[in-house]
Amino acid sequence: MHELSLAQNLLDIVSAQCLKNGFKEIESINIRIGRASGIMPDALSFAFNAIKTDSAVANKAFLYIEEIPVTGNCKDCNNEFIVEEEYILCCPSCNGSSFVITAGRELDIVDMEVS
Amino acid sequence: MKVKVATKILEANDRIALENRRLFDKAGLFVINLMSAPGAGKTSILEKTLLQNSGLKIGVIEGDIAGSDDAERMEKLCAPVVQINTGGACHLDANMIYEVLNDLPLNELDLLFIENVGNLVCPAEFKVGEDIKVMLLSITEGHDKPLKYPLMFQKSSALILNKMDLAPYLEVDIDKIKRDSLSLNPHLKIFEVSCKTGDGMPEWIEWIKNKVGNERKNPL
Repeated sequence: MHELSLAQNLLDIVSAQCLKNGFKEIESINIRIGRASGIMPDALSFAFNAIKTDSAVANKAFLYIEEIPVTGNCKDCNNEFIVEEEYILCCPSCNGSSFVITAGRELDIVDMEVS
Repeated sequence: MKVKVATKILEANDRIALENRRLFDKAGLFVINLMSAPGAGKTSILEKTLLQNSGLKIGVIEGDIAGSDDAERMEKLCAPVVQINTGGACHLDANMIYEVLNDLPLNELDLLFIENVGNLVCPAEFKVGEDIKVMLLSITEGHDKPLKYPLMFQKSSALILNKMDLAPYLEVDIDKIKRDSLSLNPHLKIFEVSCKTGDGMPEWIEWIKNKVGNERKNPL
């Protein structure tokens, strides 16, 4: 729902890094979005492409989004598992509820290709 | 040339949230980020909480897209209150809170409620500097909500089921709401409340009093 403001944050962060290091142009940006982050990759791409046109350094930047599945670790049976859904209700092997979510909430910028 | 960025997209927000938290802790203040869908009863539970004889000095930050109705309701009960209008934004963020902190007597308060914009999705994703998140679900919203909007249930410390007085007239499965919520978040504390009749309020008040008391004993 607020993918536009996230796209603006993303653009601000990479633009600041370019300014600081004297990079002239961003060719591409790699980000990681967890499936339990509540963010829709398509909506984020759409918002980013809409606002990048105003940016001197990022107007040609291509946004690559890696979607990270939701992963849990069960404390009862020590099982590491990946689920299809955006949430975990129980450990798929022992049905226990003592799990921790170990991945799937990422909203991270990994790196970018600059010139 | 490839360069590492390794930054969280919400890094700027998280940094300000941490600063807010530091200021709250310095003032010895316990802060609850109160979230729900529109109309679940956030302002009503605050009214009822203010009317209980809790012995706590409570302040409120009201977040709404537009209008000041909620702040007026708080002012009637003599609570220090600030209204934030987000002008369209679907959630409060840390900076919006930071900008109004000077308008509240933080040092005089024990407990601050930040009433977020009515929305079952986005508020859960933005830290504002709170100690805990508490969510309301009115039972008229239906028993399918925990699995449809898992993030808020996962991130909250307590779930207040409001409008329990309507249970006899609805086909809502309260046990399913509780079961699914606890599956998503086994540590969730659940309260069954009716703001209309006042049922369940004493348990809720007792719980927040304990939370405030623990904050005093174990400041960060």
